[in-house]
Amino acid sequence: PFFASNTTLVAYFFGKEIWDSGAGLVAAILIAVCPGYISRSVAGSYDNEGVAIFALLFTFYVFVKAVNTGSLAWSLASAFGYFYMVFYFLDWVKHMLSDTKLFQAFLRITVTSAVAVGGIALGLGMVSGYISPWTGRFYSLLDPTYAKDHIPIIASVSEHQPTAWSSFMFDFHILLFLFPAGLYFCFKRLSDATIFIVMYGLTSMYFAGVMVRLILVATPAVCLISAIAVSATVKNLTVLLRSKNKVVQTGSTKGSGGSKSSSKALLDQSQPFQKNGAIALLFGAFYLLSRYATHCTWVTSEAYSSPSIVLAARGAHGNRVIFDDYREAYFWLRQNTPQDAKVMSWWDYGYQITAMGNRTVIVDNNTWNNTHIATVGRAMSSYEDEAIEIIRSLDVDYVLVVFGGVTGYSSDDINKFLWMVRIGGGVFPVIKEPDYLVNGEYRVDKGAAPKMLNCLMYKLCYYRFGEMMTEYGKPPGYDRARGVEIGNKDVKLEHLEEAFTTSNWIVRIYRVKPPNNRW
Amino acid sequence: MTVFSLVLLTYFMVVSGFVYDVIVEPPGIGSTQDPATGAVRPVVFLPGRVNGQYIIEGLSSGFMFVLGGIGIVLLDLALDKNRARSVKVSYAIAGISSVVIAYVMTTLFIRIKIPGYLRN
Repeated sequence: PFFASNTTLVAYFFGKEIWDSGAGLVAAILIAVCPGYISRSVAGSYDNEGVAIFALLFTFYVFVKAVNTGSLAWSLASAFGYFYMVFYFLDWVKHMLSDTKLFQAFLRITVTSAVAVGGIALGLGMVSGYISPWTGRFYSLLDPTYAKDHIPIIASVSEHQPTAWSSFMFDFHILLFLFPAGLYFCFKRLSDATIFIVMYGLTSMYFAGVMVRLILVATPAVCLISAIAVSATVKNLTVLLRSKNKVVQTGSTKGSGGSKSSSKALLDQSQPFQKNGAIALLFGAFYLLSRYATHCTWVTSEAYSSPSIVLAARGAHGNRVIFDDYREAYFWLRQNTPQDAKVMSWWDYGYQITAMGNRTVIVDNNTWNNTHIATVGRAMSSYEDEAIEIIRSLDVDYVLVVFGGVTGYSSDDINKFLWMVRIGGGVFPVIKEPDYLVNGEYRVDKGAAPKMLNCLMYKLCYYRFGEMMTEYGKPPGYDRARGVEIGNKDVKLEHLEEAFTTSNWIVRIYRVKPPNNRW
Repeated sequence: MTVFSLVLLTYFMVVSGFVYDVIVEPPGIGSTQDPATGAVRPVVFLPGRVNGQYIIEGLSSGFMFVLGGIGIVLLDLALDKNRARSVKVSYAIAGISSVVIAYVMTTLFIRIKIPGYLRN
């Protein structure tokens, strides 16, 4: 939050640099409440992106300032912020060397030598294998279909999905109208600074369209450009308001009939309701901005302020119901398992188990080792006999799954299961996604694929669920998250036994049985 | 002028979720079966989540955003001194109506999409 307030300050100065102080003020206000930025700077969801956006905006501001003033001090300051040192230096040189020919020669030499040296270094690096070309996450920005086909673990993160219109609307509201208008104003008054902000705005909007998470990066640009639109429009309207007063004064001092040719009179001669119209439009503008503020505060309170470890829902009578199952399970692990127990779960819960359960996990949110995660995915998608081999080879003591069938919680492991299949299948071709689908459809009811009905994840989630009454008027074993009655109610486990199930069945923990004694 | 219209076109495509359409390939419009009669009714807005859409709803929302932006541009053009009075008035009316329509429709869309919008 400290850095977020600094971002607001920098936005003001940046807006002042690009357009004028009015735009700066509006930009600061817009970015202060914009949900796109709040999502990463609010307490609880605070990530290093909160600081990164401040650094980004600060660097761009200093860069534009350097371009505009041409002073060496600003140039050096911006070089500290980022690695665009060459551009800054070149710009200073441009201002220092008033002789354009000399500058052009200098530029040509510098650029060719820099490109040549860089190209040779890059080529050597890639040939020798030192630099691998474009890691997957960034390559998927240029070719969005890449992750879907080649790297399922990147494609599975919900924040890496491409953006739908409603995500834009949710995070930006009226800024989506003001952005194209602001672009128009920037085109009207072209300068180095406005060109820069237009480039930043357009490229960041494209990337925000490719990946939801990058709406955060687009937020400063959108706020600034929208601020330009607001400031320019309000200025136009207030000019209308002010000019009428001046005409009245000149009319009274010079006498009637003498001020027709004055440019300011041009306005009110033909349109007597100009002033009222301008006032009405100003009210309209303020109404829109107030709706924006209301929207932003609602979004922040509803979507970006809830803890993700304690779940809340509305009961039948509108009362709030709290599900604290996650912490219940993690504290059970902490208190009822041996200190050196190892827990296998999907990687989403790794950090939570480590921090709150104080036990070793097999895979956690640091998803750098894809093969390891694929091994866990393979274990979860195999039949119990094959899975137990993998589980024993990993020396696992407890298996943890998240199940939403009783509460209707939809972010459970059964809904994430296809990603486990895809990631496991990406490394171990023995796991094939079509085996778990019926006509391309993912089902868990009677018509589901046989492999689905007997895989480890299904068994662990639905063990003893067949006798459970979850909803009035529905048969036992009705899965409220999928909305169907499950297909295989008679689940028997051979190598695992149930250790703990939380009060709302959200987290289920199983103990790995030691192998049978052999005679 | 051409650059600006190209920019607007790109903006329209990005904001209507074009990339989402290409990758996820949702249907153009959804359908649901009426439980009583068994007839198939079209569903325009993908219900339940903010991060999903059908193609048509994306395109229509994107059009509304661009319409709002053009409305503000028209308002600015209406205040330009070097035009005939009738042109200025028509620009002003077109601009105001564009912004109003765009804002109302967009609010309506988001209210259909997120049932609990602006309700605690």
